[in-house]
Amino acid sequence: MTAEELIASGKLELYVCGALAEDEIDEVERAISEFPEVKKETELIEDSLINLAETVAPPLPAMVWTYILNSIRKVRELKEPKVRAINWPAITGWAAAILFMGGIMWMLKQNNELNNDIQITNIENTLLKEEKNKFESQLADNNEILEILRSKDYQTYTLPGNQAVAPEAFAKVYLNKNEVVAYIDVKGLPSAPRGKVYQVWSLKMEPLTPSSMGLIEAPNEVGNGIYKFSDFPVAEAFGITLEPEGGSKTPTLTQLYILGTVNI
Amino acid sequence: MEQPNQLILEMQQGNEKAFSRLYSMYSEAVHGIIYSIVLDENIAEEVLQDVFIKIWNNSSTYSVHKGRFFTWILNIARNTAIDETRSKSFKNAKKNLSTTNFVDIISSSDSLNKKTNAIGIKKFVDALKPACIKIIDLLYFKGFTQAEASKTLDIPLGTLKTRNRACINDLRVMVLG
Repeated sequence: MTAEELIASGKLELYVCGALAEDEIDEVERAISEFPEVKKETELIEDSLINLAETVAPPLPAMVWTYILNSIRKVRELKEPKVRAINWPAITGWAAAILFMGGIMWMLKQNNELNNDIQITNIENTLLKEEKNKFESQLADNNEILEILRSKDYQTYTLPGNQAVAPEAFAKVYLNKNEVVAYIDVKGLPSAPRGKVYQVWSLKMEPLTPSSMGLIEAPNEVGNGIYKFSDFPVAEAFGITLEPEGGSKTPTLTQLYILGTVNI
Repeated sequence: MEQPNQLILEMQQGNEKAFSRLYSMYSEAVHGIIYSIVLDENIAEEVLQDVFIKIWNNSSTYSVHKGRFFTWILNIARNTAIDETRSKSFKNAKKNLSTTNFVDIISSSDSLNKKTNAIGIKKFVDALKPACIKIIDLLYFKGFTQAEASKTLDIPLGTLKTRNRACINDLRVMVLG
């Protein structure tokens, strides 16, 4: 197709309108770059069509361009922060702050735990001190008793168990005859059943006169199963009976556990 | 008019001044195309904004060695305007557009464009054959392909081409002298 034929074919008009088929576009474009008259013709067609479209257009406010300009600038400004590198100082700052907070929290927790430990240790210390005091006073008591019992003022007697009631039982008596004080060790007695209590008697033989010395009970205990009695009638023998709680006026002889004489 | 390839290349490199000059050269024609499709001045302005933002953002997809710049932006304008007429908001506002073409717009317009030979065009469109009106409307303003236009108007492709050429030739004589 020559340049003239192409111009006359009406393809250039369709080309400018954008209505030409794909396979014909190549032919037209080749001709445009090859033949100046085809290019010129195309430009004239385009001018005519532009003129026609401009005639159809209503007045165009200047604001429209301002809006377009703002839009493309906004897009550009929005794109920029994406390009910017990661803000390391800010990230480092935040990381440090978070680590710092974490560290403080951890230290507070540790401090709390240590405080708790100290409290527990203090309580333990107090308990241990109390125990120590208790043991010390027990030791002092025991030493005191031992001192007393070792002194020459006291005689020791072992009182045997009553063959009929408690053959295995025994009791030890430490007696100060001058001051009328007796320490009785009941380690050899079985423990009294519930509701019963052992009662100690001093006995005169001729005639047989029992006098109550007291009960084997806490108020008389001076330490570790040793009971102290004083101010009782002079005794030739000691007896221990099992009595109902509170003791009895006269010994219940059927429950006589211990009976033994002491030499005067 | 020779295509301003230098300006186009500068715009493609992000030169706002070049883009501004291209806007001055083509915006009215693009506006006319859009208006002939949406037939509402406010909507036409919004679509025109969209079209030029698209031109700026997609400028790299156009090559000065392939196709006319005007044809490229003509396609963007027609497609954007047609998309708009298919949008829900547009359909709710407008009902029937099919009967109006560019001649109706020119005939009914009081404030015709100052840049063009308005009186000449008015005379031309008054004298334009109904066949020419239809062909130019479909091929140029509505963006039909030659095959679609040939089918719609029920004339052979060859006849369509030569008739279109004749119609645009008449137009050219009127507007360019």
